[in-house]
Amino acid sequence: MKQFFGMSHSGDLKEAVRGLSNPQLILLMSNGDQFEEHVKKLEDLFPGVPSIGCIGMSYDTQVVEKGVGVVAYTDGVAAVANVLEEVSVMPVKYIQRLERDIDRVGASQSDTVCIDFCSGNDACVLTTVYSALKRRNISLVGGTGDAGKVSANGKIYEDAVGYVLIKNLNGKVKAYKENIYHQKGNYRFIASRTDKEKYIIGELNGKPAKQVYQNILHVSEQQITTQTFKNPFGKVNGDDICIISIKEVDGNSLACFRQVNDSDVLMLLELGDYKAVVRNTIQTIRRDFSRISAVFSVNCLFRYLLFTDNHYMQEYLQEMGRLGSHAGLVGYGEHYNNRFVNQSMTCVVFE
Amino acid sequence: MAVGKNNWRGFGKKHERKSLYPIKYVIENLREYKTDLVQKEVVSLQELGKISSSFQQVLKETDTFEEQLQDFGDNFSNINQASGQFEAVKSQIAQSVEQAQSEVEELKNSSHKVEEDFVEMEGTFANFQECVKKIKGCTNKIATIADQTNILALNASIEAARAGEMGKGFAVVAVEVKELADEIKKLVAEVDASVGDVEQGTDQLNTSIHNSQTALGDSIEKVNETYQMFDKITQASEDVTSVQAEISSAIEDSQMSLQSLCGFFDRTKGQYQEVMKHIKYASKLGTTKSAMFEDIDNMLSQIPPVVDDYDEK
Repeated sequence: MKQFFGMSHSGDLKEAVRGLSNPQLILLMSNGDQFEEHVKKLEDLFPGVPSIGCIGMSYDTQVVEKGVGVVAYTDGVAAVANVLEEVSVMPVKYIQRLERDIDRVGASQSDTVCIDFCSGNDACVLTTVYSALKRRNISLVGGTGDAGKVSANGKIYEDAVGYVLIKNLNGKVKAYKENIYHQKGNYRFIASRTDKEKYIIGELNGKPAKQVYQNILHVSEQQITTQTFKNPFGKVNGDDICIISIKEVDGNSLACFRQVNDSDVLMLLELGDYKAVVRNTIQTIRRDFSRISAVFSVNCLFRYLLFTDNHYMQEYLQEMGRLGSHAGLVGYGEHYNNRFVNQSMTCVVFE
Repeated sequence: MAVGKNNWRGFGKKHERKSLYPIKYVIENLREYKTDLVQKEVVSLQELGKISSSFQQVLKETDTFEEQLQDFGDNFSNINQASGQFEAVKSQIAQSVEQAQSEVEELKNSSHKVEEDFVEMEGTFANFQECVKKIKGCTNKIATIADQTNILALNASIEAARAGEMGKGFAVVAVEVKELADEIKKLVAEVDASVGDVEQGTDQLNTSIHNSQTALGDSIEKVNETYQMFDKITQASEDVTSVQAEISSAIEDSQMSLQSLCGFFDRTKGQYQEVMKHIKYASKLGTTKSAMFEDIDNMLSQIPPVVDDYDEK
C-alpha cells in the first residue's frame, strides 16, 4: 500500500491533493473556516471515494496549523468509510453500519485497522465502536476533532464519529500507544464524587481533588492548568495507563478533558525523558516491522504544544519520518482501541 | 360497589399503549444497581488499598525484625569469636606461666645452690675460726716463751754481771736476747690485735651469713609459694576454658534457635509476598473493573434514548 500526504498552508485543497490519483481512501484534516468547503470540494474531486474528515492540524515532516492536509491510500487497500450519528446520546443506534462494514471489508486482526475522527462523547463512542471491533480483535486508532463536526463520504455531520476500516492487502497492521509520562512517587488515588458528564473529579482518596493536587505539587490554583503538561493524571487499567489532562479548577474539584468515574484508580504522573520514549517507540516499531509502508498517527494537541515549546516538534517529525511515510492529526483527545486518552500519541503502522 | 374519592382502580391493559417503557424501567434500575455496585467497588478498593498499605507495613516491619535477628545472630557470632579468643589468651597465659615457672624453677635451683654454698661457707668459716683460735693460742705461747726468754735473758744478765769481765760478752748476748724477746712480744701483741680484729670481723660475718641464710630461706619459701600460685593461675585458666565451652554451647543453641526463627521468617516472608502478589493482582483487577463499569455505563446510558427514539416513531 501507499500513503499520500498533501498539504496547503493557505487552505487550498487543490494544492493539497496535487499529485494524488486513484485514491482508495481519503482522510481530510481541515480548518474551522474552510471545513465545509473542503469536504465538498474533496467529494467533487474524488467522487465516491471513501473518506472521513475533521477539523484539526495535520503533519508529515512539518505541521499544517491553519490550512489543509490530506492523507490518502492509493494501492493495496480495501477500505470502507462510514459514520455513527447521535454520538452524544446513542451511537449504538447505528452500530449495524459498523458491523456490516466489518463484514464487507473482510476485516481481520492482523491486517485491518479502524481509524476514527470523533466530534465528542469519545468514551461512549469508543465503548460502542470497540464493542463491534473486539469480536475480531481489530485495533482502533483515532482522535477528536475540533468544533463538534466530522465528515464522512462527502457529508458534514455534527455529533458523529466518522470511521474508516482499512484492510492492508499486502501485509499486516499494528496499532501503538505512546506515553511520555510515568508515575510520580507512589501517589495512587481512588476517584469519587465524580461527574462523568462534566468530566469532573470531586475527590481523590476521600479528599478534595484540587487540594490533593496542590498539596503534592505545591502549585497555586492558577498554575494547575499549566501544570498538567508536566503532571497529568493517569487512569490505571490493568497494566495500562490512560493519561487524563486537567482542564480547569471547578470549586474544590478538577475538571478534566476526559471522563473520570467513581472507583477509577488514578495515579499522578510526571513527564519523563520524552525523546528516549520516542526513540523506544521507533525501535519497537522497527523490531515489529521489517518493511513499513505507512504510519498514521494522532498526536495530542498538548504534546504538540509541549514539543513546540521545547523546540522538539520538528525533530520529532523528522525522526518519525525515518520510519517511512508518516502523517497524522493533532487531536483533542486520542483513541486507542476502547481507550480514550489525553496527552498521548496513538498510531497505526502498515506493513 | 361504591367508589370513594380516595379509592381508585388501577389503569388496565386498555389504557396502555405499546411502548418500550419497561425496557427503560429495567435499564434505569440496572443503572441504579450499577451505581450501587460502583460505590461498593470504591469502598472495596479503598479497603484493598488499606490492606495493601498495612501489609506493606507488615512486610517492612518483618524486614526490620529479620534484620534485627540477623544483627542478633552476628552478635552471637561476635561473642563466640570473642569467647574463642579466650583459648588463645589461655594459651598465652599457660605459655607465660610455664615460662615463669621455668624461671622460678631456675631461681629455686640457684637458691638451693646458694643455700648449699652457704652451708659449705659456714663449714669453711668454722674452720677459719678454729684456725684463728689456734693462731691466738700460738701467739699466747709465743708471748709466754718470749716472757720466759726475757726472764732467762734477765737472769743471764745478772749472771753475766756476777761473772764480771768474763761475763761481759755474755751480758751483751743476754741484752740482745732480751731485746729479741721484747721484739717478739711486740710482734705477738700486734698479731694479737690483728687476730682480735679478725675475730671481730668473723663475728660480724657470721651474723651476716646467718641473716643471709634466714633471708634465703624466706626467699625459697616465697619462690615455692609463687610456684604454687602459678599452678593456681594455670588451673584458673583451665576453668576459663570450661566457661568458654559453656558459652560456646549456649551460643550454638541460641544460633540454632535463631536460625529456626529466621527460617520461620523466610517462610512467612514468602507467604507474605504471595499475599502481596494477590493483593496487587486484586487491585489490578479492580482497575480493570472500573474500565468495565465505564463500558457498561456507556452502553446502558444509550438505551433510554434509543427507547425514546423508538417510541417517538
